[in-house]
Amino acid sequence: MSYYDVDSILTDAQKLPCTFELEVPGLGILEGNPGEDIKPGTRIDLPLWLGEMLSIGARLGTSRLVTLDMPSALSERVMNALKADPRTVDLRSLAPHFYSLGERILELFEEEELVDVLMETFKKRAAEVSDQAHNPRGAVGDGVDFLRGLDETERQLFRAAHDRAKEMRVWSGEAKRK
Amino acid sequence: MAFPLPRGITPSEIGFLAEMEMVTVVPRQRLEGLELLGGPIEPLVPPRRASLPLWLALLLKRQRRANIMPPSWLHPEPLNLILEVESQHPDYRDAFSPPPPLPGQPSIRDDGLAPTARPQYTPDGNRYYASPPFLPQNTAQTEGFSSRDPPALPFHWVEMGNMLLESASDDLVEPDQIRRLLKDLPATGGGGVALTGVGAMEVGEERGFLTGVVDNLRKIGASKEQARREQMAEQRANGAYDGAQDEEEEDYMEF
Amino acid sequence: MDIDDILASVDHGPGASPESTSLDHQSLTRFWVSERAVSEVLPWPTALMDRMMDRVRMQIESIEDIAASSADAPPPTTHNQNANANHNPNLNLRLSILQTDLARTQYIIRSLLRTRLAKLTKYSMHYLVKLSSTNQNLSQSQSQSQSQSQSQPTPEDSVPDISAIASFDPLSESEASFVHAHQKLLASHYSGSFMGAFPRQLRRLDDNAGGTSMIQGPETREVVFVRCLGAAVPVLVVGEGEQEEDIGVTMRMGDVWVVRWEGVKAAWLKGEVELL
Repeated sequence: MSYYDVDSILTDAQKLPCTFELEVPGLGILEGNPGEDIKPGTRIDLPLWLGEMLSIGARLGTSRLVTLDMPSALSERVMNALKADPRTVDLRSLAPHFYSLGERILELFEEEELVDVLMETFKKRAAEVSDQAHNPRGAVGDGVDFLRGLDETERQLFRAAHDRAKEMRVWSGEAKRK
Repeated sequence: MAFPLPRGITPSEIGFLAEMEMVTVVPRQRLEGLELLGGPIEPLVPPRRASLPLWLALLLKRQRRANIMPPSWLHPEPLNLILEVESQHPDYRDAFSPPPPLPGQPSIRDDGLAPTARPQYTPDGNRYYASPPFLPQNTAQTEGFSSRDPPALPFHWVEMGNMLLESASDDLVEPDQIRRLLKDLPATGGGGVALTGVGAMEVGEERGFLTGVVDNLRKIGASKEQARREQMAEQRANGAYDGAQDEEEEDYMEF
Repeated sequence: MDIDDILASVDHGPGASPESTSLDHQSLTRFWVSERAVSEVLPWPTALMDRMMDRVRMQIESIEDIAASSADAPPPTTHNQNANANHNPNLNLRLSILQTDLARTQYIIRSLLRTRLAKLTKYSMHYLVKLSSTNQNLSQSQSQSQSQSQSQPTPEDSVPDISAIASFDPLSESEASFVHAHQKLLASHYSGSFMGAFPRQLRRLDDNAGGTSMIQGPETREVVFVRCLGAAVPVLVVGEGEQEEDIGVTMRMGDVWVVRWEGVKAAWLKGEVELL
């Protein structure tokens, strides 16, 4: 994570299901019950940065405070949909920083298959992004839905492809005007 | 610090670079030789041909002081041939046609010959291998390349074609046909796979997208790469390392 | 450098031969394209830039001389107008060519310097730390421990001292003093506008707490477009520790690849690949 990078800060703010293993006095505020204790077995969605910190005991092999679960954006159901047709899935509604979330989760969990699915998804969708950036189909049809469903990484990719294609037209236009 | 330009030179800077390509002119007036910052310029004596950088050739052309002889590839026949190769040849259907060879690089017809890179030396003693825009790839007679070489699109073909059609179309042979052929060329390159033979403008256009794709694939694959490294280190420690298995596509791509 | 290189460089020793003028211009152009292609600041080619700046200065003088000589000419009368024109028919043309050539070279130098300044200001702390690591008398670590023991630490204390550094690499001398002055000003501005009001332990600009360093450096794992110029150039696969390196694919002459910058930087330094 880089210190001043807004996208990675926002990625770390995305929520993750966490299950408390121990009783924590006075931490009920996380559940919306200020002053109460947290009981073992409580499931709460916590921001990634907090969940990661609280689960650190688990990775050190000592008694852990919480165990982490896969966020719903990366659930089995989503993975199956991505395997079927990556282009029809609305990634943005799953997580605005979908791939960055995936990268962070892969630092915490060993999930070989997740790597492959994300890579395959990204490659197929990137090809479509390039196509859309060079041949915009206007505000009709599948194109709009696809573009609306781009995650932040894909949006930046679309912008890069689109801007350069435009600059190139400007350059050749300039050459024509002279 | 106000420097808004993204990483990698922009299309207009690529055009600026292409203006350093040498072209052949036929001067219409005399001009003594000049010592320019880009190197010396030979004296112009009509009707003797001379090699000049494109920016200077265009400056003289606009003032009707010289005519530009089209680069040997910028004629209808060689363009038709290249178009045929790009669309017909099974090796190039999803790729770019081969670029003109660099000095010391065997031509496509001498396949199998080993290349011999012959460096020049800078005043500081560093090796320097010339490359576009500083090779005679756009002169009327391509010096240094044998005539049996098939025609090839130089690195700055988009810019060269664009600028000459704009400012010197009366010096071109059948400019309208050339304009049509140049339009067809990138379309057949489709798929965008092998990059060898890619043009400068195509690099400029695709840079942001491609680097974005490769960088994100690297990030997604980082955990797997880490695991692979640990495995490799372990195998190396056990003296059983097999270098072949770490050739993963996200490390380098030739598309 | 091998023995052939040394002999060849003696043969072509430094000097103002016409070839070295165009070779220098080509090297400058290639360096500019490279500097625009990567996130890090490339090693400043001191000798090349000194020669270029000298030539630019001399060219400006000679353009001024030519312009003055045309102004000195007697005012055109009906008698000598033709004679004057015949005497120097191409004066204006020559001037416009020389000026265009000068402007093009100046554009490259300006764009090069501005690109470097943009990177320097973006990664200022990174480069200052890098420079100060070559400090000769270890005054850096002393001043830091002093500042930490002070009762009122300020953001300015985080700016490394580069007064005794042994090398400016990869910067030029003026870039090094620029980035130091820039960071001092920035730190004092931060201090005055908000950081001075922070708790003492939050006033540093080089903090490492929480495992995330405040000092951001350029990304060297990003990919670049390269053309292979040598007969065969291997791409290095750099490991985590930067010491461990494996050889990946081998690029052949004339090939264009998209590769990680860290894997071809060594070959770029030797001139065996060029950045596109």
